[in-house]
Amino acid sequence: MSLNIEIRFDEKENIWVFLPEGEIDIYTSPKVKEEILNCFNSKQTDILIDGERLKYIDSTGLGALISILKKLKEADNKIYLSNIKPNIRKIFDITELDKLFIIRGEEDE
Amino acid sequence: MNKDIINLKVPRKPDYISLVRLTTSGIAYSMGLNVDEIDDIKVSIGEACINSLMLNNEDELSLEFEIEEEKLCIRVTGVKEDIPEDLDERKERELGLLIIKSLMDEVIFNKYGIEMIKYIEVEDQ
Repeated sequence: MSLNIEIRFDEKENIWVFLPEGEIDIYTSPKVKEEILNCFNSKQTDILIDGERLKYIDSTGLGALISILKKLKEADNKIYLSNIKPNIRKIFDITELDKLFIIRGEEDE
Repeated sequence: MNKDIINLKVPRKPDYISLVRLTTSGIAYSMGLNVDEIDDIKVSIGEACINSLMLNNEDELSLEFEIEEEKLCIRVTGVKEDIPEDLDERKERELGLLIIKSLMDEVIFNKYGIEMIKYIEVEDQ
């Protein structure tokens, strides 16, 4: 039951990069949403969520991502996901959220 | 036919859901399910717990694992299929139910809550 988010700003690509490590669940989702939106509000650019170290996400985590997506859309910015593990990709598939988010490294980018 | 029952009660707090997921994974692992099946069960139990936690005011989350040779049946009290129209997180809760229905082999709602079944495929010898 833990989650850490490594945050950096990629000056070259002008994009926020978030590397969540652990589980985005009912306990940690509010923190994820807050941290990501805080960064976005301080500098409004596209954002990338790197899923390399993300082990699990539940529906509250998906809800957090959806509200981040809405916020970014208002400002005409995009949210990218990359390195999503197959077990998490499956959840995006079931919920059809793979159509809403841009998943990097796949043909639909 | 052998049937073992494990009961688990945890306080109705988000903090304990990861413990439930971990316990459930352990039970599924001990039954010889594969990694993908364990993950399906873990994700489904997580969603059932969130549903119960958000749509009820009971003090405890109550779970029952019924272990048989050919299936694992998990019951969680307080899980509802009908999500209130006025709930802020309505969409999220619907996603939760969709996930459970997609990942488990059988899902039954009754007046107590939810019953989720995963069948164990016996490998041909």
